[in-house]
Amino acid sequence: MTDIIALSIVCLAALIHASFQLSISTLTLMSGHTLGSGRSHTRLVSLLGGFTAGAATMTTLLVCTLGLLLSYFMTDQDIPQVFWAAACGLLFGVGVAVWLFYYRRGKGTMLWLPRQTAEFLAERSKKTKNTGEAFALGLASVFGELLFISAPLLVSVLVILPLSPDKQLLGILLYVGISMLSLLTVAVLVSGGHKLSAIQRWREANKNFLQFAAGTALFVLGFYLYVNEVLVTPVYTGGGLS
Amino acid sequence: MSGKAIDIVKSSGKRPTESFDRTKLHRSVKAACLSVRSHDGEADNTADKVCDAVIIWLEERPEVTSHDIRRIASKHLTRYHPDAAYIYEHHRYTI
Repeated sequence: MTDIIALSIVCLAALIHASFQLSISTLTLMSGHTLGSGRSHTRLVSLLGGFTAGAATMTTLLVCTLGLLLSYFMTDQDIPQVFWAAACGLLFGVGVAVWLFYYRRGKGTMLWLPRQTAEFLAERSKKTKNTGEAFALGLASVFGELLFISAPLLVSVLVILPLSPDKQLLGILLYVGISMLSLLTVAVLVSGGHKLSAIQRWREANKNFLQFAAGTALFVLGFYLYVNEVLVTPVYTGGGLS
Repeated sequence: MSGKAIDIVKSSGKRPTESFDRTKLHRSVKAACLSVRSHDGEADNTADKVCDAVIIWLEERPEVTSHDIRRIASKHLTRYHPDAAYIYEHHRYTI
């Protein structure tokens, strides 16, 4: 796998991560409560900044921790075949789960998460009053979606690990930057004075498309990696192709 | 309120029944208006109108659920401020 292909895979995985909605839902709720309680615009911007920084920090921590753990299993800069097979299985599994279950049926943008997690985040978003709390809420919201982001996260780490250190850093920055794009967009819109109702209406109107796109992208990425890393690599190493 | 006590049965059934509180309804409607960037005075006026409409609706009913209150308040809020009504109705269905 060339560096360009590896970084392109990281970008696609990060885009899939960006299409997941828990952090955006939490951010929307927190903004609604902040505006509803009549707090100043400066406070709103500071909370949005804290939340986004928290989400970016947790994403970075997850990528680095997973990378560190998996690096212990690497042999001669190669990823064991079993990890690629597991990652492909996870991509297919999460892809099907996203297609079928990501949003709950009915109105709104309710996600298929454990209700306790969702209620905890909703309750915390109501009680968030300072930047530190917003930062912690950002951390928790990314962690709460681990079930779905585990697949793009694992694939990115597997792709980043064999790269040179400078490319690894670039890979991590690309992943974190792109995965935060959707959250940053909503944060900029809210702090720029857009109505929450317009943002939430757009999210609700397009939720089926986002769900389908995320599931399909997971499937496409899984298929590509299965063919290139699980099927083709053994043929190369076994001398089947010249 | 005309002094008549109206019991509000909580939808989840987990919390005990409580008396109708105009201030509480006013606060939640005003918060919905403020969250869609209404001015403070406008939000206050809208919340007053919605509370009045809900109280008229409550006059014939000795006991209602909190879900009923939310539904009726939302219906009236839609007339005065559709964006706020959307947030008021949907904020429970965001996550």
